Amino acid sequence: MIAAGTNTKAEVAALRRARPKSPFLRTTAIVIVAFTTYAWFSGEIEVGALFRARRLENLERFVTRDIVPFPLREQGLSVGGAVDWAGGLMREQGWKAMLATLWISVLAIALAGAFALVIMPLASGSLMTREPYLLRDGTRGVEGRAWRALVLATRFGLIFLRAIPEYAWAFVFLAMLGPTAWVAVLALAIHNGGILGRLYGDTVENLEVRPLRSLRMLGATRRQISAVALLPLGLPRMLLYFFYRFETCVREATVLGLLGVISLGYFIQEARARQFYDEMLLLVALGVVIVLIGDLVSYAARAWTRRA
Amino acid sequence: MAERHGRMRPPSPLGRRGATLLTIVAAAALAWWALDLSLAQLVPGAGGAQIASEFFAGALRPALTYQGDWIPPGSPPFLVTVLVALGKTLVFAAAAMSLALVFGLPLGVLASDAWWRRRPRWTRTLQVAVRTGIALQRSVHELLWAVIFLAALGLNTFAAVVAIALPYAGTLAKVFSEMLDEAPRNTAEALRSVGARPLEAFLYGLLPRAVPDLAAYAFYRFECSVRSSAVLGFFGYPTLGYHLALSFTNLHYREVWTYLYALIATSVVLEAWSAALRRRLVA
Repeated sequence: MIAAGTNTKAEVAALRRARPKSPFLRTTAIVIVAFTTYAWFSGEIEVGALFRARRLENLERFVTRDIVPFPLREQGLSVGGAVDWAGGLMREQGWKAMLATLWISVLAIALAGAFALVIMPLASGSLMTREPYLLRDGTRGVEGRAWRALVLATRFGLIFLRAIPEYAWAFVFLAMLGPTAWVAVLALAIHNGGILGRLYGDTVENLEVRPLRSLRMLGATRRQISAVALLPLGLPRMLLYFFYRFETCVREATVLGLLGVISLGYFIQEARARQFYDEMLLLVALGVVIVLIGDLVSYAARAWTRRA
Repeated sequence: MAERHGRMRPPSPLGRRGATLLTIVAAAALAWWALDLSLAQLVPGAGGAQIASEFFAGALRPALTYQGDWIPPGSPPFLVTVLVALGKTLVFAAAAMSLALVFGLPLGVLASDAWWRRRPRWTRTLQVAVRTGIALQRSVHELLWAVIFLAALGLNTFAAVVAIALPYAGTLAKVFSEMLDEAPRNTAEALRSVGARPLEAFLYGLLPRAVPDLAAYAFYRFECSVRSSAVLGFFGYPTLGYHLALSFTNLHYREVWTYLYALIATSVVLEAWSAALRRRLVA
């Protein structure tokens, strides 16, 4: 080993030359670095302007005055005063807004899950062939290509649903339906339906083929296979995804209120419009609390189903 | 007998997963009742129906030129406006993502168990502190950060980038730390056994094993940040959301669809790219 020491440099160089290279990865890296550099130097991101004197004055006023609870600005700091102020705000808006936000996300994710369960077989490329699980080339011929087209159309529809942000959906529904909770529920359900539909489709595509094949050999229809095999076999995975998306739903439900639906965001927006920044920050903190509650529920539910 | 019963309990007809499904259905019903919803609210009024039909009709014929009679003199062609808005959306997303990576990676290392293994017990308080910080960053949505910054600083594009970067850095850090803990440890242990210091073992043994996963996940988050950056436009920043809201309020629904299709096309391209990247990196 030591005798070979003189050659180490050359050996390392040879190893380096022989390492696996991928032009695709290299191009990706170059594109990312180049575009990021362009982004920072395009003049679009005004880093310097943030530190101009007027903005800093703004910031100082915001931190030293605006966010101090209103009754404490004159009285001076007191715990009792702060508690009274926070309690009043909770009674008037806080509890109501938190509950509404939670219920919106619960209903939305349940609708999204139901939709995804219905669409799941259609998004499964292994079920939707001429002869599922029995043929190697199930997408050949006119019939095979028709099945393939069905899967691709479903998958494209799902991309369409999830590529439009829930905020944009809510913006549109608000104009159509007026300020009901449906606006937020539908927006979240549609976006997450697109996401869960794709994930559920992937899940049943990746299931073990043998039990499904034997069902088919016994003459089960596609619908029967979906109901008695795909659903129960895929369920553990699907529930995991379901609760992961529930966490996101809670976050987004808070924010959709900024548009005018009665969730936490609505009261945050209102406080901002009236420049009651003390109230605004307390409401944002409530948002943190319900996000943590959502994460906790999701964590507990995932642990519970995993042990099943 | 009793013991045998305890061990060989027949599977309950319901089971945990069945119970979970029932709970979800019950919770949804409860939500329906608590939100005081009715199906009648889903039928738009006369004005709403008009908007709905015109809006969804626009999906089939997205605009290629400006709608409306009056176009401000000197405006660029419509499709150029769309491309510029899309470009700015990507610029905001890339800037935010790079910032999030710069902070997310070290925070992720500090939050991982892999980094603190074999270090004195008391140093773990720092790990707990980092994890708490990450959780707080993550639990305030980027739009709420944006609203706070708007109140504190006024409209500034760098503040918007930071608003996206803060929760994204938190999410990256959380997932990175999990990936570092799941990365195969044998290389690092081999290095340790021939005398490498902990830092060297981490940098040359553990980190390289996790890098493919980290890179694939970071690219996936870039996809998400494009959507976040588009939505920030609703608050007055010059990304897609700004133009979308403007066209929508002007009742130019076909223009709205052009912007939406631009966003969808970007998503499709990025998703395909991301999948190709994942195949090469992870599989």
